[in-house]
Amino acid sequence: MSNFSFISETEWRCGCCNKELQPRKVNVEYMGSVFNVELMVCPVCGFVLVPEDLALGKMLEVEQLLEDK
Amino acid sequence: MDQPQLRTLEATCIQEESPQCSAACPIHIDVRAFMGCLAKEDWRGARRVLDRTMPFADIVGRICDEPCRRACKRAETGDPLAVGSLERFCVTTVPMVLKQPRLPAKGGSVAVIGSGLSAMTAALDLARKGRNVVMMTGDEEVGGSLRGYAEEILPARVLSGAVETLDSYGVNIQFGWSLNKEFFDIVRQDSDAVFFDRDCAGLASLPVDCTHPDPLTLAVGNDGCFAGGGTTENGFSIMKQVEDGRRAALSIERYLQKVSLTAQREREGACPTRLHTVTIGIESLKEVQPADPSTGFTQQESAREASRCIQCECMECVKQCAFLQEFKDYPKRLVRKIYNNQAIVQGTRTANKMINSCMLCGQCTVICPHDFPMATVCRSTRENMVAKSTMPPSAHEFALQDMEFSLGEFSAMTRHQPGRDSSRFLFYPGCQLAGSAPFAVEQTYLHLTGHLAGGVGLMLGCCGIPAHWSGRQELFNQTMQSFQAEVNRLGDPLIITACSSCYAVFKEFAPELQVQSLWQILDRMELPERKTAIPPQPMTIHDPCTVRHDPEIRASVRNIIKKLGISIEEQPYSGELTDCCGYGGLMQFANVPLGEKAARAKGLRSDLDGLAYCAMCRDNIAASGRRIAHLLDYLFPAAEQEDPLLRPNPGFSRRHENRARLKQHLLNTLWHEEPVMTPDYKSIKLFIPPQVMELMNTRHILEDDIQKVIFQAEQTGKRLVDPENGHFLASFKPVRVTYWVEYQPDKQGYIVHNAYSHRMILPGDAK
Ligand SMILES: [Zn+2]
Repeated sequence: MSNFSFISETEWRCGCCNKELQPRKVNVEYMGSVFNVELMVCPVCGFVLVPEDLALGKMLEVEQLLEDK
Repeated sequence: MDQPQLRTLEATCIQEESPQCSAACPIHIDVRAFMGCLAKEDWRGARRVLDRTMPFADIVGRICDEPCRRACKRAETGDPLAVGSLERFCVTTVPMVLKQPRLPAKGGSVAVIGSGLSAMTAALDLARKGRNVVMMTGDEEVGGSLRGYAEEILPARVLSGAVETLDSYGVNIQFGWSLNKEFFDIVRQDSDAVFFDRDCAGLASLPVDCTHPDPLTLAVGNDGCFAGGGTTENGFSIMKQVEDGRRAALSIERYLQKVSLTAQREREGACPTRLHTVTIGIESLKEVQPADPSTGFTQQESAREASRCIQCECMECVKQCAFLQEFKDYPKRLVRKIYNNQAIVQGTRTANKMINSCMLCGQCTVICPHDFPMATVCRSTRENMVAKSTMPPSAHEFALQDMEFSLGEFSAMTRHQPGRDSSRFLFYPGCQLAGSAPFAVEQTYLHLTGHLAGGVGLMLGCCGIPAHWSGRQELFNQTMQSFQAEVNRLGDPLIITACSSCYAVFKEFAPELQVQSLWQILDRMELPERKTAIPPQPMTIHDPCTVRHDPEIRASVRNIIKKLGISIEEQPYSGELTDCCGYGGLMQFANVPLGEKAARAKGLRSDLDGLAYCAMCRDNIAASGRRIAHLLDYLFPAAEQEDPLLRPNPGFSRRHENRARLKQHLLNTLWHEEPVMTPDYKSIKLFIPPQVMELMNTRHILEDDIQKVIFQAEQTGKRLVDPENGHFLASFKPVRVTYWVEYQPDKQGYIVHNAYSHRMILPGDAK
């Protein structure tokens, strides 16, 4: 999952800062493994969007793989 | 599990034992595979099966006296397979497919005296192994007694074909010897070992007694001499000739290698097998008769006859269990996978999911002729995984949090009967009944207090079985200890459990406490006056897996049902053999789709409307789409008169809610106590469309979680917004799981449009 990009056009805007989300590299972590991935993030407050298809797709797959390691 | 334990377990599962036919065959021909090939018209495949084991298949296949036929399981439902006729069909229509190789020459000279079938077999087997073999006979041809067969059964050219075969393996055949003392001396001088075929004239004139060979080794008095074959008290058996020839060849091999002649030879020759094959329910079929008996089976007739083969195996446990079916394996292979999974230090433990998918219900153990302990293996493995920190965190977390909630301040309570300060009895409805049918809990409690003297206390909580099932032994022990302390505090009343899981747990882990099932108590008591109409008749009972070993409870339940005037049609897999609904072993949490399959399979055991007396069975079978009620629904019908058969599965959120409300309601109405303060986030009012609710259920997301997300988003303003439709998207991580909710404020609360979760930790999250 490392160095993967999960950015895609999104309607979601940051409600706090009233900004469009922008692609940004962030670190996500599970079971001691850290992955640097590109996600849509609010440029001001840093709110990270995890869309449904990512949470239930690639992310879940990696989570389960790590749990069996 | 260590190696010896694994071996013992593997030996307990008999699926890989030989079928009866191969076990009865003195040379263990794979008759089942032979039938399988013929049935699918793989003629060459069938011939290959014979060539692999049967010496001189062109000869033996024509005249085999089929000792396997007497052992054939088909005889239990029809005629035994016509193995001999099929062998004959095969060798007369398909030429040799597999010619066994000859191993490199390795010295050792063997004399084979005589030329009957056992001499031929011994010579062939020894020559294949690279031994130098001389066949010496007084005859002018090979075959011995086989020469007596009619030409149409065993043509002379086929029998003399054996000479070419033996020749091709380098056997030196010498005809026309006079068997006498001088001959014997030459033989002894020139060979390291000798086999005497007793189907041979003139043996009596030799200075060796061949009449009583050792049954295991066929050795006779003189060193290096062996004898077999010929006519015995059972007559002249073809397969006995082959068996003796082969047995003698093996003895001579051992003799030449100077190793034990006797060690580990139990499985040579016809031997017993432990394979267990149930033929009940298999349609009875008569033997296929060839249209022209003089020519025997045609291809089509052969395939038809062979397809009557049952293809004996055990698989009895797999046939019934959703878990074993899902993983497409029988216990012997699964324990091996579990053992290997445990041994992995680095790498992916691919069997984790399987280990966590067993319902731990023990059905397979009851079915297994050798009581294979699958549940014990899986549960203790889970304990081991927890101890070694290799248990996947997501497998049981949701169920354990549910248990924590049931034991927490919002759901759990212990009280003496209102107005009393001691209890002779203690009603323990269990977490799932409180979650599924709180009204029934209240009514049952009122009924018990009205009919039992000496005070009936009430305890709401959880017996801790989810911790036990998930291998969290420490947590389970703590739970049991607090429970016992609480019971002691009440003065050790007799515990009345409505849930058979609680009953089983208390009986096993707190044997010093007095426990009885609610059903046994109600059976001895005046029943409430029933207010609902009698349901459509008859119904079927779905016994829960936790009463598998409690016939008294099952009998009490049936008595009560009878008293209610409901007629019952029993299903074949009930009682001791009953299925688990998928809740057992927390399977439905560790493997959501399989949980649904198990519930559906249990519900489909009968076409009739169901009656359960376990709240989880009731709810899971209801969720699978079957009409099913809980027995308490008929004993204590709800006021609103809804049809108990149509009561929906409450789902996880509603169960939480029901437990919390039950506690508040009972505290308020019976004990006149103040309600427990609810947390702030509970003030968030939700509107959840049914399809979203269903999604939340399968994704293991509670209304509680949604309320926390929205509460926190509305407090902090941290949320995303879709300007198109005004929806918000927010996330919150209460403990380990991050929940996302798409919602929309409404006049009175919030409409929930979607919810999902992940465990991956985002930047800024607490770890
Ligand atoms: Zn922002």
